[in-house]
Amino acid sequence: MSLAMFGPTPARDIGLVAGFELREMLRSRRAIAVLALYLLAAAFFAYLFVSVLERVQEAAKNPAAFLINARGEAPGRPGARRGGPVFAPAPPGKPSQGILTSRGSPFNALIFSQVAEPEARDFLEKQSPVVLFFTLTSFIFVPLLIMITAAETVAQEHQSRGARFVAMRTGRSEFALGKTLGQGALLGVVTLMSGVTGLAIAAWKLSDFSWGTGLESLVIFWPRVAAYCLPFLGVAAFCSMNSASAMSARVFSLLGLTALWLAHHAAELYADSAFAPFFNTLDFLTPYAHQDDLWRASWSAVGPQMLLLAGLALGYVCVGLLFYRRRDL
Amino acid sequence: MSVIAADPPSPSDAALRLSAVHKNYGRIRALDGLDLVVPRGSVFGLVGPNGAGKTTTFSIACGWLRADRGEVDLLDGGAFDPARHRGRVTALPQDSALGRDMTVVDQLTYLGRLQGLDRRAIRGEVARILDLVQLTDRAGDRVRTLSHGMLRRVGIGQAFLGDPELVLLDEPTNGLDPRQAHSIREFVAAQRGTRTIVISSHNLHEIETVCDHVALIDRGRVVMAGPISVVTGRDGEIRIMLADGPVPLAEMRAALPGERAEWDEATRTLTLRFQEKPGRAAEDVTGVALRALLDAGARISSVARGQSLERRYLDLPAAAVPPSGAEVGAHPA
Repeated sequence: MSLAMFGPTPARDIGLVAGFELREMLRSRRAIAVLALYLLAAAFFAYLFVSVLERVQEAAKNPAAFLINARGEAPGRPGARRGGPVFAPAPPGKPSQGILTSRGSPFNALIFSQVAEPEARDFLEKQSPVVLFFTLTSFIFVPLLIMITAAETVAQEHQSRGARFVAMRTGRSEFALGKTLGQGALLGVVTLMSGVTGLAIAAWKLSDFSWGTGLESLVIFWPRVAAYCLPFLGVAAFCSMNSASAMSARVFSLLGLTALWLAHHAAELYADSAFAPFFNTLDFLTPYAHQDDLWRASWSAVGPQMLLLAGLALGYVCVGLLFYRRRDL
Repeated sequence: MSVIAADPPSPSDAALRLSAVHKNYGRIRALDGLDLVVPRGSVFGLVGPNGAGKTTTFSIACGWLRADRGEVDLLDGGAFDPARHRGRVTALPQDSALGRDMTVVDQLTYLGRLQGLDRRAIRGEVARILDLVQLTDRAGDRVRTLSHGMLRRVGIGQAFLGDPELVLLDEPTNGLDPRQAHSIREFVAAQRGTRTIVISSHNLHEIETVCDHVALIDRGRVVMAGPISVVTGRDGEIRIMLADGPVPLAEMRAALPGERAEWDEATRTLTLRFQEKPGRAAEDVTGVALRALLDAGARISSVARGQSLERRYLDLPAAAVPPSGAEVGAHPA
């Protein structure tokens, strides 16, 4: 049955705008530039991390000659601490997994600082370290990349006044949501490809790498990364809708990111103060407050957090729309 | 406002109505209580100098800008709302850019689909529009490769996608070469009666050629509005220039009793103002006047009906332009 039989619907318009946004990004090579940016960043960090894993492999082959302590330094090197941790036994045939199982390794400390439950620890220890590293770096850097690459989408249309052609044909909400959806789709693809890039580098460099384990972990963690990025995309959309130019949208969105970060850290800083309830509420409205739960094992724990993050994203976009609907184009 | 038309259109006869609309950009007053009524089915010209408020008027009518005060009504459906006016009201914005990296066909297809045209209808419709604006051979080219004039034509084309009832064109022939401009003017004139078209321009000759109604805007207010024939006096005024020789004013007045005849010695122009009546059109009055003059031995240099729109605009008394306490001027609306 044709959609046309029902006439234009908001969902149809959002889909049309999102599709056009994606096609326009592909044609203008903006999508390629964004993809290149993400892949380069992913490749760079993955290469650094895999190099560490390579050293772990070496250590597994010759533990007496090549141990890595908590600061990532080999014994005997300047600054090396006495009595640094030795890698715990890794699963047979998978020495690089030792970076997770070794309680003293910096990566182990970084990952397990996120979780407290033994169940979650056990779950993480079974995952591909490369994917965990991808998840960790995505949590840190992708919000920044979103603000740089996605914030201009609606603002650019204001600057060129191209939005006026569309505003005669569909609502501003449909237009802004369609644009955001297009950016979200691109973001989903580029983060997934970043993860695959990390796995490809691991496959190239690590002798004990298993594509099966890597892809399985990616299937588990990529949706979490995507969900975590959604509220940041919402903030970028908010800023984009309410800026007069692409550049001001970028600046505005970077300020927004800083505000979220400050709100989160203020809650930690004033946890024992009289203002704690206020700061905790503020923190709850930031994606940072929900990051830790994304490391958990059970989907029944992670799923609601992902929905909450999607809700936060929608909330940011809707607040942006409240202003956007009233502004001059 | 000086409304020359005897009876302004009733609400149901109006395609567009703006009542007491005000718009300020900070201290700059762009619209100062503008009243405008565009009759359905007319080709309506909105003229005025730069900064008069034409583009702001357009932008408010299209919902791109919000009026500070006043009421806007399009097709009896209130202020512009895509839910009510999608596909019924279209516009050519001034200085707005289409997606540079998309092809002309992609761009028109996208806008047509958003307008509500379905997948099957859109292909034929885009082909019709491309033919209309003579860009069929550039259909697959990216928008950024088009010249300014071609971009303007794509902009005009998108405004005629589907079957809109009201089309607003802001400076449609700006940047077009004379042949293209003529072609667009002919197309627009041919739309008379089928839909309402509002054209904003400061090219008075163009407005006079294409439009049947006009409003003159200055300093954010309409200073004169009505049918072109009435504004220019085409149906109620004859100007006859006489060469050296007799000026038989008395004979002519005797032939047309009750009509007003004025003689300007400096330009040797006889201006005859009259009311059209059933069975007596402007042509009949012209015939009677010329016969009386020729019979009395006058030597006629030229005959003209009414005044040009440009002359009419330039002759507007300063009092017609409302005084304003605030700064009034152009803003990139």
